[in-house]
Amino acid sequence: MIRLDNVTKTYKGTVPALRDCSVEIGRGEFVFLVGPSGAGKSTFIRLILREETPDRGQIWVAGWNICRLRHWKVPYLRRNIGCVFQDFRLLPNKSVFANVAFALEVIGRPKSMVTAQVPQALDLVGLREKWDCLPSELSGGEQQRVAIARAFVNRPLILLADEPTGNIDPGTSAEVTRLLDRISRTGTTVLMATHNDAIVNTMRRRVIELDNGVVVRDEDEGAYDAPVAPYDVPDAVAASVEPTSAGVEGLR
Amino acid sequence: MALSLDYVARETGTNLWRNRLMTVAAVLTVAVSLSLVGAALLLKQGVSTATTRWKGGVQLAVFMQPQAPPDQTRAVGDKLGSMQLVKRTTFCDQACSYKEFRTMFANQPDLVQSAAPADLPPSFRVVARDANHVQQVGSTLKPFAGVRNVVYAKQSVDTLLRVTGIAQAVLLSVAVVLLAAAAVLILNAIRMAIFARRREVAVMKLVGATNWFIRVPYMLEGVIQGLGGAFVAVCVVAVVSFLLRYSVQHYDVTLFQSIVVSGHDLFLTELAVLLMGIVVGAGGSALGVRRFLEV
Repeated sequence: MIRLDNVTKTYKGTVPALRDCSVEIGRGEFVFLVGPSGAGKSTFIRLILREETPDRGQIWVAGWNICRLRHWKVPYLRRNIGCVFQDFRLLPNKSVFANVAFALEVIGRPKSMVTAQVPQALDLVGLREKWDCLPSELSGGEQQRVAIARAFVNRPLILLADEPTGNIDPGTSAEVTRLLDRISRTGTTVLMATHNDAIVNTMRRRVIELDNGVVVRDEDEGAYDAPVAPYDVPDAVAASVEPTSAGVEGLR
Repeated sequence: MALSLDYVARETGTNLWRNRLMTVAAVLTVAVSLSLVGAALLLKQGVSTATTRWKGGVQLAVFMQPQAPPDQTRAVGDKLGSMQLVKRTTFCDQACSYKEFRTMFANQPDLVQSAAPADLPPSFRVVARDANHVQQVGSTLKPFAGVRNVVYAKQSVDTLLRVTGIAQAVLLSVAVVLLAAAAVLILNAIRMAIFARRREVAVMKLVGATNWFIRVPYMLEGVIQGLGGAFVAVCVVAVVSFLLRYSVQHYDVTLFQSIVVSGHDLFLTELAVLLMGIVVGAGGSALGVRRFLEV
């Protein structure tokens, strides 16, 4: 579904954001993309969305070589990709229903499809009864669920989530992640970039770790941090550098 | 691309309403400038009708009798051809005279109806090598058989052409400046509309709306502003044309007496004004969309 072959991307006059990355993600997989800030996670996502093009290497998304994709075809690529962000990006003057419907309307889908699919998407995220609310009347978690409904309403092949839990509390974060997991079970490939170690450690899914633009780990059923060999780092030191995981108990 | 009319109409309507002050400014500027353009065009056509015989610097017209036999006409033509003082001469036969006649009296249909090509005199249009010799050429030809009369371009025609020429130039240059201002106003209106909706635009790009789908409402907004201005200008031009006709009929305004604008000319002028409105609107908004809407 997503394949990167030796992809390198350098922004003007800086160190490479991604260096010689090769990754393959299959249909219906649920993948965490982890790594410190500036590791290249956002670049990875922007490349898949073709907001950027790589300097070297090839990228295949949903069967298209998107490096060779003509400019005017990019919108059609994006119709196969749903997107969720840390800041929700909902339209503040539109109701929940209108926000989700907007995604279908602007790609020219007929009204009948809008009236059929929007309630389904709202059901999926459990917000049907709040269809008439404005985003400002909802909690952060609810807003993010609306954003997920909007990303999923067109039944994309791929769902990209860039720090979707960055702005919401731990309990709600787990709920949002479970929702993404449920979506991946419908056959949608989900790629979630995150800093939330508690969630990654609880879910135990495939983890791709980036550091300094390089894929340093690609592990099935992985944890947020790489397995530490006992003779490498003393436990006490490892514990002191590990980020604290506030929400981990709530999840278990 | 499935662009629903409903969607485009709604988006364009909201944009126009949100920016209504800008919209009014743009529409008024377009209206004023296009009114000037229309007035200049009307003036040009009116004058050109009034002076149709004297086009191309013709200083002298030799009219033959309508029934003059061909050999008499040929004799006059040969004489003109052989004269040193004549620089250029053209022959206007009865069909050509009839056409001219119809143009000159376009708003007197009774007169046009009662005349047939056979009633009208053919004529020679003469340009002299030297303006001072026009009189001499005329008097040489006057006694020829079949010549009905000789008409000289009057000083007044000259004056009329010069005055209206200057008026046209002034009107058109002011109009060009105002049209440029109108295009900039429309461009700015589009820019503000795009800025006001930047969130929507970002989401649209994200979910895969096509570039044209994003652009069309803004483009249409500019076209509507241009068209609105053009519509006002069309009304102004119609009123001006009516006043002109009215004053020619009811007052003795010597300068304007011979200026006639036919319904056909008026229609063409209005059409030109409308088209220019659309072009200015579409041009301004296309530029705005290109510069401020990155898709």
